[in-house]
Amino acid sequence: MSQMVADSSSLILLARCNLVERVCDLFEVIVPPAVTSEVASQRLVREYSDASLISDLISKGAIRTQSVARAGFPLSISLDQGEKEALLLAIELGKLQLATDDGKAIKAARFLGVPFAITPKIVVELHRLQRISFKMATESSEMLGRIGRYSPEIIGDALLSLVEQKNGKADNRKDT
Amino acid sequence: MAKPTTVRIPDELLNEIDQFAQELELDRSAYLIQVLQKGFSVDKQERLLLKYVRGELSQMEVCRKLNWTPWEFLSRLKEKNLYLNVTLEDWQDSAQLVQ
Repeated sequence: MSQMVADSSSLILLARCNLVERVCDLFEVIVPPAVTSEVASQRLVREYSDASLISDLISKGAIRTQSVARAGFPLSISLDQGEKEALLLAIELGKLQLATDDGKAIKAARFLGVPFAITPKIVVELHRLQRISFKMATESSEMLGRIGRYSPEIIGDALLSLVEQKNGKADNRKDT
Repeated sequence: MAKPTTVRIPDELLNEIDQFAQELELDRSAYLIQVLQKGFSVDKQERLLLKYVRGELSQMEVCRKLNWTPWEFLSRLKEKNLYLNVTLEDWQDSAQLVQ
């Protein structure tokens, strides 16, 4: 099973568009302790049902918590603790893919050569890999725009990619 | 503990504040403190969110400075009609999933 490191922004969006469990089925999702505290502290679990879902996934081991060996390593771009630990963890684990939906964390990942994935791309990719239906992918993408505050340009592009994937498959079927 | 400070306020604005406080039978000093607190809170949010939108602050840095949880961050963006600070270029550069 492939691994990916996630930060708080990504875990929250995956939970909000009902895909966090699906992603945990397909990938070993690893988070640093700071991310766990940011999204699923005892207080947050009481207040937010999605925080409770993430806490359950951590308890069951579907999301693995792993400490960063060099948590104090200085970065040239300032980030909050969870974002920084997630980035350093991705580097320590051999430049694993970092799931993040934060522009500044992406800037830091790009600078350090860490591959990153934003949630709309994860949705499109899950559809490409035939892990979710077209209907589920479009609904999740629309939720990322409505609830997740993704810009209409990105969501428009994501929906277009999904339609192209769907039509491509239909064309392929016609060809065979 | 409250500390005294001096601020120069334009005549017109001060007259308007005085008149309003009198009309509503409010204590002028207490009212000015309330206005300052409210205005500071709104202005702090606006300035920090602007820095977020420009990519100068991360989501969690904003949450930390404004004492928000990351779960409420998205609804706060919605209230202000703002979007995540992820760009079209980030979307295009986002990696394919490797299984």
